[in-house]
Amino acid sequence: MRKLLFFIPFALFIGLSMFLFSGLFSDPRQHGSALVQRQLPQFQLPDLMQPEKRWTADELKGEPYFLNVWGTWCPTCNAELAFLTQLRQQGVRIVGLYYVQPLDAAFGETFDLKALQQDVQQKLAEQGDPYQFNLLDEHRTLIFDLGVSGAPETFLVDADGVIRAHHVGDINPQNWSALAEAYQQLVRK
Amino acid sequence: MIPEIGQLALTFALALSLLLAVVPLYGSFVANQRALLLAKPLAIGMFVLSAFAMGCLIYAFLHSDFTVINVASNSSTTLPWYFKMTASFGSHEGSMLLWVSMLTLWTALVALFSKSLPLLMQGRILGVLGLICLGFIAFSLFMSNPFARSLPFYPVEGRDLNPLLQDFGMIVHPPLLYLGYVGFAVTFAFAIAALIGGKFDSTWARWARPWTLAAWMFLTMGIMLGSWWAYNELGWGGWWFWDPVENASFMPWLVGTALLHSLAVTEKRGTFKSWTVLLAIAAFSLSLMGAFLVRSGVLVSVHSFATDPSRGLYLLVFLLLVVGGSLFLYALRMNAVRSQARYQLFSREVLLWGNNVFLLTATLVVFLGTMYPLFHKELGLGSISIGEPFFNQMFFYLAIPFSLLLGMGPWVRWKQQTLPPLLKPLTLVALAALTLALGYLTLTQQLAANLALLGMLLGAWVGMSAIGEVWQRMQQLGGISTGFGRLQASHWGMTIAHIGFAVLVIGVAMTKTLSIETDVRMKIGDTAALGGYEFKLLDVYELKGANYGGQAAEIAVTEQGQPIAQLHAEKRFYPIQKTVMTEAAVHARLSRDLFVALGEEIAGPSWSVRVYVKPFVRWIWLGGLLMALGGLIALLDKRYRRSFVAAPLQEPEQTLEPQQSQEPANA
Repeated sequence: MRKLLFFIPFALFIGLSMFLFSGLFSDPRQHGSALVQRQLPQFQLPDLMQPEKRWTADELKGEPYFLNVWGTWCPTCNAELAFLTQLRQQGVRIVGLYYVQPLDAAFGETFDLKALQQDVQQKLAEQGDPYQFNLLDEHRTLIFDLGVSGAPETFLVDADGVIRAHHVGDINPQNWSALAEAYQQLVRK
Repeated sequence: MIPEIGQLALTFALALSLLLAVVPLYGSFVANQRALLLAKPLAIGMFVLSAFAMGCLIYAFLHSDFTVINVASNSSTTLPWYFKMTASFGSHEGSMLLWVSMLTLWTALVALFSKSLPLLMQGRILGVLGLICLGFIAFSLFMSNPFARSLPFYPVEGRDLNPLLQDFGMIVHPPLLYLGYVGFAVTFAFAIAALIGGKFDSTWARWARPWTLAAWMFLTMGIMLGSWWAYNELGWGGWWFWDPVENASFMPWLVGTALLHSLAVTEKRGTFKSWTVLLAIAAFSLSLMGAFLVRSGVLVSVHSFATDPSRGLYLLVFLLLVVGGSLFLYALRMNAVRSQARYQLFSREVLLWGNNVFLLTATLVVFLGTMYPLFHKELGLGSISIGEPFFNQMFFYLAIPFSLLLGMGPWVRWKQQTLPPLLKPLTLVALAALTLALGYLTLTQQLAANLALLGMLLGAWVGMSAIGEVWQRMQQLGGISTGFGRLQASHWGMTIAHIGFAVLVIGVAMTKTLSIETDVRMKIGDTAALGGYEFKLLDVYELKGANYGGQAAEIAVTEQGQPIAQLHAEKRFYPIQKTVMTEAAVHARLSRDLFVALGEEIAGPSWSVRVYVKPFVRWIWLGGLLMALGGLIALLDKRYRRSFVAAPLQEPEQTLEPQQSQEPANA
């Protein structure tokens, strides 16, 4: 019995090594989001280009789509625009969720929709426009409900409005295959 | 040419480490004296070659040799020469070479200062160190070669050093931290050598103690410098972030501290043996695991180097061999070792045991907090993160009983202690602590039932107790003047380190509770008031540095109309890396820091300015410095330099027999 006692540190260490080993091959940036397999949170947000039009979660149902959180201020988002545009040309439905950078009223920063629309239009003209339309989340309510930690992040939502995957970071030809598979499955249904 | 010579030197060092790992260990098993005697020249040669390789890398950086990939990615021609030097260990590859240099330096030091050790023991220790060196030199050479060239196509300008690392703190922080990390390899080698021989006694502990002290001292300074750097460079006035990489350096420190105290028991009383050996293995294992976590990309951190699974796999296999192997050896050998010494419930042994329990609980808290996200994810439960509140709260609960015990520890005798003789001095200490803490807070009108009061009380209790104990000891040794010199250096070291801990506790509690901050928008000529100080923005002008541009602000500080200081805060822009950096202006006094960071320029023209008043924040680093100083003084104790006559080699295991009777087991 006493002999076995001295093997405890060794056993603990071997257990730990197994975790370290499996940790080695999983990307810490890949989130298992708490929201996967749940309904997209309810929202009512204006269209970025036509603010009088307001979108709700139910209106987006009917066809699977990618909800892509982005902003013109975010270099990685700009970098993925070209690839996303290719995807749109292949028929993939992508809806943009525009992430407005925090503004500080104390410093006289106010929200200027005109300037933002111009900025977005110019960016999309330069880099390619992958979006069916863009949701404007000025007060970041939906972004908060989705648990977005930064831009770009992308959610795969099925025809019934259920979130099927959460991807953190840009989508590029290297990591597209996994998402493509999930998307194809949803389309076939 | 020079980089190739460096690579060649490193290759030769690899060959020597291979010999060092094989020959002396072989010699120790067949009692071959010549094989054992080879250990020393091999160790020294290995160090000379590694240091030479490091020198070659520094040369390549100083001469901006952009054909070397490492130089091209981490340096530029506009970098000042001293940052070119430090850029040599700013990347994963370079820092690995620095790590190797430090490791071989310790090995060479052991070879040079082990005359008092029996030859057999010396050979085994150096052999184990050789094995570790072999693993790391091979890693540096094959998995992350710092000398790799990009010929024939190379850039004309480098990508510059990360601006965050362009700071004085970064010049000294990595070498000191690494000296501490790999220093525990020596203690580890001592433990393994003893495990191989199967003999543990107080002589072994006395050999291992100075090396542990030295490593611990460097680690303490390294961590403190890192914290100081974060405070100055990150611009949000924080000094500790519970970042995975910070935690990776903190865990070996906690275990190292526990080891120091446990070694004391093993040396003086010949007990706690299996515990001490386990701690010696654990301290170095945690250093290794820290290296793995930082360099494999398993955890996300601001400090992480670029990630590469093959490097991670190499380190994991190495970790398995070294740590797994040593723990297995421990399990096989240690169950036969029994301690004879007896002690009562109220004795120094038990109090030091308490110290170990708290320090290891703290280690476990840090460990779980750091690793839990990984466990959680790998068990398929999804991603989570553990933040500052968890650690802060746990350390708050741990610090209270730990400090209370620490205030008592040095007063209590070995074996057994009766309570009555301690009642009077401890009551006096408690009264003094109460008076000091309440007195100071009342005088500065900050008395409230909060964390600051608790921290002050605990700090004063520990500090007064340390001073009181040393006072009493000097009286016993024949008065202050004679006692001052007659008190052992290790006793002074302990007292100073304990006072350092007290200072640290006060610093942390006061800063956490009483810091105030404000974010203001200022035009030139505007003033902002905070904590009784007035900050006036005098001027903002363009900045032109060697490899950066930006803006600088001059801010005059007054207190009740009296000028205190003129602060100079900068916001730098590094064009090559396209990074903006804050150089905060700090006006430091023992009782408080004034901290000003210049923010964005806002149309107007005005600037956002962040101002902090942080009471007692200096005490945090002062406490750390005192702890390291205590370690240094204890290291100078005469008894560590007393030589032992090495026994003849004919009966190998006999050389490990106890020689403890030479040393009276006092104090």
